[in-house]
Amino acid sequence: MRHGYASFLLAHCLRRLNGERTLAAVYHLLSGKKSAQTLQDCKWFQLAPFFGTWKDVTMDRLEEAALVLVRKQRAAPVHDRTYILTEKGRHWLDEQAASFPRYVNGWRYHEVEPLFWQRLSLIGQTLSNLSHGQRFIPICRDERTLLWVKQYLLGKGSRQTLVRALYDELIRLLAAVSEEAATVFALRLTSARRIGWTAEQIAAWLQKDVLYVQFQFRNALHYMMAEAEAGRASVMAELMAGLAPVQLTQSAQKTYEWLQKGKTIDEIAALRRLKKSTIEDHVVELAANVPDFSIAPFVAAERAAAIQAAARALGTRKLKRIREALGGIASYFEIRLVLAKEVGRWMN
Amino acid sequence: MDELTKTLHERFGHASFRPGQRDVIEDVLSGRDVLAMLPTGSGKSLCYQLPAYFLPGSVLIVSPLVSLMEDQVEQLRRRGEKRVVAFHSLLDAEEKWQALASLPDFRFIYASPEMLQSETFLAALRRARVSLFVVDEAHCISQWGYDFRPDFLKLGAVRHALGSPPCLALTATATPEVQEDIIRTLGMERTRRHIYSVDRPNIALAVEHCLSVEDKAARLAECAKRLRGPGIVYFSSRQWAEEMARRLAQNGAGRVAYYHAGMDGEQRLLVQQQFLYDELDIVCCTSAFGMGVDKGNVRFVLHFHMPAQLEAYVQEIGRAGRDGAPSLAVLFYADGDRAIAQAVAEAELPDSAALREWCRRLPEDAVGGGWRAMVDAGGFTDIQKRLLAYFLEWGQTAAPEQLTAAAKERLYERMAAAIEARRRWKRKKLREMEEWVHASSCRRAAIVRAFGEELSDKPDACCDNCGLETDCFMADGRRPEPAPVRPWREELWHMFFGGRRRDEAAK
Repeated sequence: MRHGYASFLLAHCLRRLNGERTLAAVYHLLSGKKSAQTLQDCKWFQLAPFFGTWKDVTMDRLEEAALVLVRKQRAAPVHDRTYILTEKGRHWLDEQAASFPRYVNGWRYHEVEPLFWQRLSLIGQTLSNLSHGQRFIPICRDERTLLWVKQYLLGKGSRQTLVRALYDELIRLLAAVSEEAATVFALRLTSARRIGWTAEQIAAWLQKDVLYVQFQFRNALHYMMAEAEAGRASVMAELMAGLAPVQLTQSAQKTYEWLQKGKTIDEIAALRRLKKSTIEDHVVELAANVPDFSIAPFVAAERAAAIQAAARALGTRKLKRIREALGGIASYFEIRLVLAKEVGRWMN
Repeated sequence: MDELTKTLHERFGHASFRPGQRDVIEDVLSGRDVLAMLPTGSGKSLCYQLPAYFLPGSVLIVSPLVSLMEDQVEQLRRRGEKRVVAFHSLLDAEEKWQALASLPDFRFIYASPEMLQSETFLAALRRARVSLFVVDEAHCISQWGYDFRPDFLKLGAVRHALGSPPCLALTATATPEVQEDIIRTLGMERTRRHIYSVDRPNIALAVEHCLSVEDKAARLAECAKRLRGPGIVYFSSRQWAEEMARRLAQNGAGRVAYYHAGMDGEQRLLVQQQFLYDELDIVCCTSAFGMGVDKGNVRFVLHFHMPAQLEAYVQEIGRAGRDGAPSLAVLFYADGDRAIAQAVAEAELPDSAALREWCRRLPEDAVGGGWRAMVDAGGFTDIQKRLLAYFLEWGQTAAPEQLTAAAKERLYERMAAAIEARRRWKRKKLREMEEWVHASSCRRAAIVRAFGEELSDKPDACCDNCGLETDCFMADGRRPEPAPVRPWREELWHMFFGGRRRDEAAK
């Protein structure tokens, strides 16, 4: 597809929405807006795979795409900024089935996808350069990833075995997606011989739409993550460690929503008629499972540092011993929080 | 071999110092406050990195750009230095409790000015005993510098709060008035100044006067095609950088990519590294590209748009020829470019009607911290907000407790006057740049004069006004074909089992 992948994506959404939502709903869906309405739409109209898969989409781009569809009589306006596919449009969409990113699962992966890719591309670059006996500048700047990859590689016994396993797995997984998706993916990787290409550079080389290239890439990436989670790709499963989206308990989820609205623990306890300690349990669960959950509102930075230092110095996770070592200044809740955050970061 | 040279060799792998480095390092080690102006590419960072191995406590480095910090950290780690840490933001600090708790263990502590506003962070720094307070790109301190960053102004107070450790201010471009500003703001005393010429004898200078924007684009495309690369082309807008990148590639200028701050982090890093590894011939970019790109063999720097100040121009062309080999800088100029440069330069200045309206809407009891939030809610752009916060802090020193209508009006007038002064100063800098473009005498002499120097030696390839033969900068013969792209299975096989080195493989 040389041009107009935006129109293709939009056409797919329009078919599912069936004139019941405006372009704004498509915009929120593709950009990954976490409002109750958008999340509901995802499920109701079976568009969850596309949730958050085009983060920098603009209303302008969508309106332009809609205009193209209308001009080619593939869609027709029904209300203001609301369109439905025409018969012709449905046929056209069916003919384009080969361009459909069948493995894309934005609902599940849009948040963790960048981290997974960082790990994979940095490990690829590192192993490639080690094999070629070369020094290199890491293709990733994110310190979390740098540290994770370093520990991962140190924890691996034989480098040769890992290289072989990774290579075999990449070949096997990429063979399952389209030739074009495999090509895009291979070109995005950085090796000792070539710095990875940007989606735009690949698009220019393949003479394809940039958005199409991005979705081919995402398609391959999400396929790898899904195979990892299904237990059919062991190296990828290792790279997924700690990234697989966890299901929070329903009650913790509720507490999370209140916290995001700015409520304190006491207020939530009162609102929900639950014990304060129950809400605290939820907060600990959130700290352990939600990667960008900040515990700063619940424990002062200096105290957190002290707790962490004590845990390390004692080599223990026993709350009582840590509390005693700190002269009783930290509450059990604070200690649990700090440890939970740690676990969230390193253990899984 | 003395201790310094030995350490230089063991830690940094260099046999000898580059001009200026040793003098600066010796003064730093003797505990003096030092202002060092060294040309870009002369190894400024060594001036604090080497002393770090002789000083008892940590070295704190304040840097304006996250990417700059990351580059430095990465370079140090590559040399085997483990005791290095960087803090860019408060969120970051939360991630790094452990590092914060053990701050004294680090030899190098990099921090953004924003971080230094945090009491927690300052307390940790005090425990760490900072032996040397380094301000990188120190010209950012001065509102008369070409890249003013208001949050640098607080560094003087920060240094004081840390017990006034010896200070090293580093910059590549600071006019005498900016140098004075740096010294005053940082509270430096009995300062040793090491001012090296801004002149880069191996960079030949030229200006091409064009008839129109279209003529400019055509001539730049022709020039980019014929010149020996790699090279950088600067634009004042993202759209132009993207547009011309496509055009140059179509026009046979080789492998061309664009770079600007609107791209995501990974894209930017990929393009930067492709350029570094000679996988690109030309990068078309905005001023966002360059700081921290340590590439020796850049053969030309072209400007499609004129920067708003000579200092900015000098900084940008300074990315050519760091290896000392002959390089070329050409500025393409057409009528109307002055207006573009002015618009870019003055975009940071808030509109006076909007400012007046904003002042009027201030609540009567808006004092202290509340003002910050008001700045955020004013509908200004980020860069305007930064400047406004600065002017506000300065303007409110005269404001009374109760903001009556009259007091608001006075506040507005004070701020408007400050903004107007800044506008006049910017226009003056722009005039200076424009005069340089239209000059008929030696361009090199004019540059060093702007920095309060005299030109002592003129290279053979000096500038168009002195007579410049450009043939030696042209590519000889055809550009080598880029490495072919193999089918993906082969690409992957070569990635892991290719075994041959990159340079051999290229043959």
